[in-house]
Amino acid sequence: MNGYGGSILRVNLTKGEVTKEPTPADVARDFIGGRGFGIYFLFKEVPKGADPLGPKNKLIISSGPISGMLVPGGGKCDWTTKAPLTGGYASASMGGHFTAEMRYAGLDSIILEGISPKPVYLFIDDNKIELRDASDLWGKGTFAVEKQFKEKLGEEFQVAVIGPGGENLVPYACINHDYGRQAGRGGVGAVMGSKKVKAIVVHGAKSIPVADKDAYRKAGMALYKACKDAEGFKDWTRYGTTIVVSWCDEVGALPTRNFSAGSFEGGKNIYGPVMREKIVITDKACFGCPSPCGKYSRNKKYNSFVEGPEYETIGMMGSNLGIDDIEAVAQANLLCDELGVDSISTGNVIGWAMECYEKGIFTKADTDGLDLKFGNVEATFALIEKIARREGFGALLAEGVKRAAQKVGKGSEKFAIHVKGMEQSAYATHNATAMLLAYMTCDVGAHHNRAWAITYDLQVGRDKVVPEKVARVIWLQNFRPMFDVLGGCRLQWVELGIDRDLYVPALEAITGIHRTWEDLDKVGERIWNLTRLYWARENEGFGRAWDMPSPRFYEEAPTSGATKGQITKLEDVNKLLDMYYEQRGWTSDGLPKPETIEALGLKAVIG
Amino acid sequence: MPATLRLGASLRILIGGRDEYAVEPGRSVHETLVSLGIKPELVAMVSVNGEMQTKDYVVQEGDAVRLLAVVGGG
Repeated sequence: MNGYGGSILRVNLTKGEVTKEPTPADVARDFIGGRGFGIYFLFKEVPKGADPLGPKNKLIISSGPISGMLVPGGGKCDWTTKAPLTGGYASASMGGHFTAEMRYAGLDSIILEGISPKPVYLFIDDNKIELRDASDLWGKGTFAVEKQFKEKLGEEFQVAVIGPGGENLVPYACINHDYGRQAGRGGVGAVMGSKKVKAIVVHGAKSIPVADKDAYRKAGMALYKACKDAEGFKDWTRYGTTIVVSWCDEVGALPTRNFSAGSFEGGKNIYGPVMREKIVITDKACFGCPSPCGKYSRNKKYNSFVEGPEYETIGMMGSNLGIDDIEAVAQANLLCDELGVDSISTGNVIGWAMECYEKGIFTKADTDGLDLKFGNVEATFALIEKIARREGFGALLAEGVKRAAQKVGKGSEKFAIHVKGMEQSAYATHNATAMLLAYMTCDVGAHHNRAWAITYDLQVGRDKVVPEKVARVIWLQNFRPMFDVLGGCRLQWVELGIDRDLYVPALEAITGIHRTWEDLDKVGERIWNLTRLYWARENEGFGRAWDMPSPRFYEEAPTSGATKGQITKLEDVNKLLDMYYEQRGWTSDGLPKPETIEALGLKAVIG
Repeated sequence: MPATLRLGASLRILIGGRDEYAVEPGRSVHETLVSLGIKPELVAMVSVNGEMQTKDYVVQEGDAVRLLAVVGGG
């Protein structure tokens, strides 16, 4: 099958068996790859009500047809599972070089099933595939394990590894790769830990069959040229995602002190140029990327090296915690990576804990003696460690912000910033109605990568609640995650603004199937609806209430910064949902109508 | 000698208008944008001679100013 490795690898951890089966052509046709494969296999194979950390859940790692190919940013793979953080759908995208080697080993998906009786790692050297003992690696940090594998097996092996966070089943544990890339959100690392899989190492030696080699080369080169010619190429390459820190601060989108505001008085100390000057020593790219957004840093203050921080971590570990020291943020980033916890969720939950402390809900008697005032760097470092190891006060925070707030009560639920149990990522949404809707309806919880619409809010009018905004969010939700389906990076479109139509001939040359973006957007819509049906299947009573944002965005206006005095009214929150459900073809409670399911060809899938 | 102010494709898509403007030095980037009728908050990045600057930067003679919007986000 052109454009595919051709095999799905099943790893039965309970039995210690590995088997290959052909990649199903009909699934490739209808769901293409990446997160399309992920939700298809999750829906079909993981039984209703499965414990996310039990043997019936599966961890599904999928590449897509442009992964490992001569297409800019073809270094992404998707990690799908039932989320321990939310009880719903999780899909985390990971960059680096893992997906390319996976494809060269002929694998379109790797499906981890069951639970191993002892710690293991999955070893893949092209056709040689084995489960090997990892007892001596259990308990070690991610960098140490990756280094050990690289030294033992060679640089050509790519490593995905969990840290203590995953081993300790922290529901927002991540999976680390390439010393600084992550499958970050939803707790995919905890699922890997529950299966007792410390790492996957992969190297492949096969070619990917393509339908038309000449057209493939031509289309690939056209994409690279478009990237190089893009107006912002040099700037995005120089600063990566840190380019937006100052702008978010200016427009009130930079999360500050647990999202109580969107502008930070210490913001100037964590802007992109400050980071570039103070700590960045080189740029770091994923597979096939012409515009490396990764920044590799030498942190002299803490005598360490780290990839990053990038925007999200600067927002969540910097301004959101009242920390205005870029070196401290970089060190917090390093600790999260080494210990294997998602820096977005970790920064969010620590922000909530700091607010609880400042409001007197926690005292030092609760916090193991830590003085949890906003801005306390050492307390932040200590908490990251405690969370990953579930030690003392860290055990509470390791539950995630929603469950921690439910346990603590005392009004702290109102400033637990999440949707569906996933901690909100680094955009404050007090008065940005399209972005707020994007978070409310995102299919994994409050994450930004499906739809990002702040500039659109500013363009149209940030408090406007109009059908055009809702349509924009839906279009983005259908289209943007298609990069996670194709196995590529969206940042060439997002950051450099290259014409998305340039991907069409490349995809056709690789797979031999002509698909326009209209066709691809339809696949995106099919996947979006299937993820919604998955949430509904797994959660009794699922509906509108699950889409509500934190009350902070409709009850408490910031008292400073660009959004001072501004909130989104609750009636507008509901109006947004009404319009969204109607445009999606969903009921007023947010469930896909039978005719929507039928029109998207999902009836047979859901059975 | 005027400075040049170039709009990145993403910004042009948002606001329409020309690719490039010749602007007089001596005013901040923010003031220059307002005078051109461009909403300053739509501009996410100001690059002057290859270095990122804030909108408070005062444009100098011969500066090459490049402006970018963020349409797609992170």
